[in-house]
Amino acid sequence: MKSAAKYLVACAALAVSWAPIYWMVTIALKREIDQFASPPLWFAFTLTWEHFHDAFFVRSFGREMANSAVVAGGSTVAALLLGVPAAYGLARLQWPGSLGERVGFWILSTRMLPPIVTIVPLFLMMRELRLLNSLLGLALVYTAFNLPFVVWMMRGFFDEIPRELEEAAMVDGETRLGALLRVVLPLSRPGLAATAVFCLIVAWNEFLFALILSQTDASITLPVGIASRVTQYKIEWGSMSAAGVVAMLPVLIFAAAVQKHLVRGLSLGAVKG
Amino acid sequence: MSVVLEDIVKRFGNTVAVDHISLAVEPGEFVVLLGPSGCGKSTLLRIVAGLEAPESGAVRVDGRDVTALEPRDRDLAMVFQNYALYPHMSVAGNIGYPLRVRKRPQAEIDAEVLKVAAKLGLAELLNRRPKELSGGQRQRVALARAIIRRPKAFLMDEPLSNLDARLRVETRFELKHLQHELGAATLYVTHDQAEAMTLAHRIAVMRDGRVLQFDTPFNIYNRPANLFVAGFLGSPSMNFIGLPGNGTTLGVRPEDVEISPVPFEKGQPATVYAAEEMGNETFIRISLPAGERLTARVAADVRPDFDAPVWYRFRAGRTHLFDTKTTEAIQ
Ligand SMILES: Nc1ncnc2c1ncn2[C@@H]1O[C@H](COP(=O)(O)OP(=O)(O)OP(=O)(O)O)[C@@H](O)[C@H]1O
Ligand SMILES: [Mg+2]
Repeated sequence: MKSAAKYLVACAALAVSWAPIYWMVTIALKREIDQFASPPLWFAFTLTWEHFHDAFFVRSFGREMANSAVVAGGSTVAALLLGVPAAYGLARLQWPGSLGERVGFWILSTRMLPPIVTIVPLFLMMRELRLLNSLLGLALVYTAFNLPFVVWMMRGFFDEIPRELEEAAMVDGETRLGALLRVVLPLSRPGLAATAVFCLIVAWNEFLFALILSQTDASITLPVGIASRVTQYKIEWGSMSAAGVVAMLPVLIFAAAVQKHLVRGLSLGAVKG
Repeated sequence: MSVVLEDIVKRFGNTVAVDHISLAVEPGEFVVLLGPSGCGKSTLLRIVAGLEAPESGAVRVDGRDVTALEPRDRDLAMVFQNYALYPHMSVAGNIGYPLRVRKRPQAEIDAEVLKVAAKLGLAELLNRRPKELSGGQRQRVALARAIIRRPKAFLMDEPLSNLDARLRVETRFELKHLQHELGAATLYVTHDQAEAMTLAHRIAVMRDGRVLQFDTPFNIYNRPANLFVAGFLGSPSMNFIGLPGNGTTLGVRPEDVEISPVPFEKGQPATVYAAEEMGNETFIRISLPAGERLTARVAADVRPDFDAPVWYRFRAGRTHLFDTKTTEAIQ
């Protein structure tokens, strides 16, 4: 009995979380006339691909998606390049006193304030640097935004690799950098993948900074692009939904690929402090 | 190929892990650092390897001061307690790694790996991953990785402690033979006295970051420099009797306590407290009239009853005298 109730609750939760997605997918596949049918057509409707064609060949979702890919990919690479050595330094090097712990906490603490409070200073900085409406500017912001996560997650993964492995490598003839590249990094590949996917997803989905910092047609990213199809005259439900469905796919694929590591990576900080 | 430590000091916060240690490993010599847990053995070894920097003092390898050098520039090899095999490489990859790092030609590496693997009985296992090996096999791979490069000296931190008792004894012999064959200076850490006694040319007995005695196994056992060394080596351990009046302690090893069921010359009376039969010998714990207890090591056919009267005496010239306060031996 008890477990039946549990299943019931789980199913209800599942239904609630899947309902909007189901709705989006069906709208993307329905003809405009069926989208507003009342009562709604849950299953039996005429399939059409016109919204997908519309979204990517008539409207500019294609370019927006490319922008998103560039910004998400670029910022992920940059965050890893900066964050992995920092994480290694925090995990392995000797810091005077408790400085290592403090630096680690400072880095994490940058994620504790709500992003919105940094919007105005960021906007002003970007304006001075002439990086408004540029993919580079947005990528820089995402890099800064993801860096603490990279440092914190990778530090957890490095902590799990026995020190003796690096020490053995160094006695065997490696420099510390060589030991990092040829022993530690190959062993932390699952962690690297999880971290990279995490950064990609965050940057891919980000809306707030993108909305404020890039507003030209040439520079907007997909989330902003989709939202901007709600205009005062018309809401393009069909192509918005089609773009939404396509935007969802990479996230689903990445998340499925590293699901196991993602859960472990995210819970590391909680368990290990 | 010698290793010399000069007045090494290392502190971690308030704990003094290594407290002014000087000692020398001569070419071809097998030196064992022996001491209880936390006495600074590993720390000292890691300082030699270059994995920890000493606060003061110097490390010399072959007369060259290497104190400021990176581990890789010291030309030493180290075997770790947990073996530290690279999990993402095959056995062959692990063994050949020190040569690969040094950019030796692949053909030479392959030949050397085969040679070393054959020597250590690993030839069949070259394509396995470390996690597919037994503890004993892993230990051999770690040894193979250490010897392939023919380093100036070997450092080993409790390399046998993860093996089961039988394999440990077996491997002990092999290790001894291997060291003799290679003729390389070896600094070996253990807290197992049997390992120290059987392997070492000289043993450095350590406590609290200090070397209490540095001598041959024979001298450490038969001429212990102080109460700690006397009590730490030997199993069962040495009997100590506080001598009244003059502030000295008498030490006598169980095998130097002679026991008789009937009175004998110079024999003192006592009673049997309990006896332990080991099969090849028997340990008898006796109670002296004053309440102290002594252990005697006797032949296996002696089987006394509880509380039976016995007479005991100490073998002539086999007792040790220590100053109770300073714990130093009195010659
Ligand atoms: N990295 C470190 N940070 C702080 N203290 C340390 C560190 N390494 C060792 N110590 C301390 O230094 C002392 C000596 O440690 P060490 O590991 O050398 O002992 P050991 O003789 O090898 O002991 P064991 O037989 O248990 O391996 C101990 O008190 C230990 O707690
Ligand atoms: Mg140790």
